[in-house]
Amino acid sequence: MAARPIWTGTVSFALLSVPVKLYTATRAKDIAFNQIERATGARIKQRKVSSVSGEEVPTEQIVRGYDLGGDRYVVVEPDELEALAPRTAADDRVIEIVEFVELREIDPIYFEKAYYIAPDKGGTRPYSLLVRALEESGKVALAKVVLRNKEHLAALRARDGVLCMETMLYADEVVATEEIDGLPRPGDAAERQIADRELEMAKMLIDASTGTFEPTRFRDEYRDKVLAMIEAKSLGQVYELPVAQEAPQVADLMAALEASLAAVRDRRPA
Amino acid sequence: MDSLVEVEGRTLRLTNLDKPLFPGGFTKGHLIDHLVRMAPVLLPHLRGRNLTTIRFPDGVDGEHFYAKSIPRHAPDWVKRVEVGGVTYVVCEDVPTLVWLGNLAAIELHVPLHRAADDSWDPDRIVFDLDPGPGAGIAECAAVAMDLRDLLSPLGMSLRIKTSGSKGMQLYAIPPSPLPYRGPTGTTAFAKRVAEGLEAAHPDRIVSKQAKELRPGKVLIDWSQNVAAKTTVCVYSLRARREPTVSTPVTWDEVASAVDGMPLRFTASEIVARVADLGDLFA
Repeated sequence: MAARPIWTGTVSFALLSVPVKLYTATRAKDIAFNQIERATGARIKQRKVSSVSGEEVPTEQIVRGYDLGGDRYVVVEPDELEALAPRTAADDRVIEIVEFVELREIDPIYFEKAYYIAPDKGGTRPYSLLVRALEESGKVALAKVVLRNKEHLAALRARDGVLCMETMLYADEVVATEEIDGLPRPGDAAERQIADRELEMAKMLIDASTGTFEPTRFRDEYRDKVLAMIEAKSLGQVYELPVAQEAPQVADLMAALEASLAAVRDRRPA
Repeated sequence: MDSLVEVEGRTLRLTNLDKPLFPGGFTKGHLIDHLVRMAPVLLPHLRGRNLTTIRFPDGVDGEHFYAKSIPRHAPDWVKRVEVGGVTYVVCEDVPTLVWLGNLAAIELHVPLHRAADDSWDPDRIVFDLDPGPGAGIAECAAVAMDLRDLLSPLGMSLRIKTSGSKGMQLYAIPPSPLPYRGPTGTTAFAKRVAEGLEAAHPDRIVSKQAKELRPGKVLIDWSQNVAAKTTVCVYSLRARREPTVSTPVTWDEVASAVDGMPLRFTASEIVARVADLGDLFA
């Protein structure tokens, strides 16, 4: 099944205007479960009820309230939010490129979600031009875009001839390290106590374990196992839970070592 | 005086066989003779392992260098394996041993895994017992006994040898294969063993490399349990004053060494010993 675009509009930069379609580039593969009644298999439904009367409240009677604390709320209407919704320069269906930076200048902590950008009708040529220009300059475009009523900062880059966009967090959406106890501060004493020798050893271990990143080597093995179990059960097979395998045995070896070391300590003359 | 020899169907040109490599007159010819005589017990321990040699073209008092990459002019029949961008020699037959001897490769060092067999997990754990100033083989032997008491009950099969230099090396073969890395890998295991024994016997054992910690004590060097490190291979010569050999010993000999019996074997002694005892490291 072909993916459907989540948004259409234009990428705009100076005199260039590229009609485009936006697709999500990633999908979470978490396994979803439904709640059902054990005896009948009937789906469990949630009902929206008033916390005061306990009666069900019809959808048209549900409005948005902003919590002021102390059970006080400000009611906000959809058209009030609409009037304040962000817009970029021309209209709100534009990915507006504002400047170009080096990819390595962007801390990965800012990246939020990835999208593919495809050319829409009449966009093929300017699209190719933009991709080529990005490829040959080696730069990343910073842009503003409104998605689902939120104005995002975004990074546009060429990836194997395809234009990609990552929405980004604003600086104030990244938690400052000072807010978290236990994170190292610059100039901490612990940092100064590292012996050159230890550092050399650690760097050597890093060199010895250095490879190239191959994403396909890593899989969510837990998900694979859960899906295998579900498939077996759906075919009416009896699914036997796996018994402890190699890894736990290894852990046992460590545990056995600790027990032996404790015994050695106890034998030691005082 | 060069000579052409044929070994197992390979023709080799041997050079400067009379060149002394050790002060006592042990020559390159003697080195090659040692390697050939040791081949039946030595080759099984080299099999599949990427080899690092220490070469002494002008003998142990001359310049030496660690040779990892295979020499450019190596015969094409020499087996090789690429590890981390470096092409290493893998020595699995007598002609390769003779060829290495002719290169004055006195010391043979190997990692704990067999890269050429595509086996990247270590098949053993090594504890290198290195005596600090004022300590010697007796102190090492005592620590080897401590390690045996600790590791045997864990189902580890143990091998013990002299380093051929000042210390000893104990190898532990775990009941099931372990990787190097991770919280339950051999690196972490060996480190925990060393630190645990140091805590139990702080007067005799250290687990950290720092020199100032070591007078009179034995370092349990656990750090060779990583993929990039090598340890001298059993039956390899060492570049000392005399052609000493890294020699497997029995636990009875280790116990006697604690009481002062020297544990030191030279090339001239090892041949009869192997004929007598076989390969204690098998």
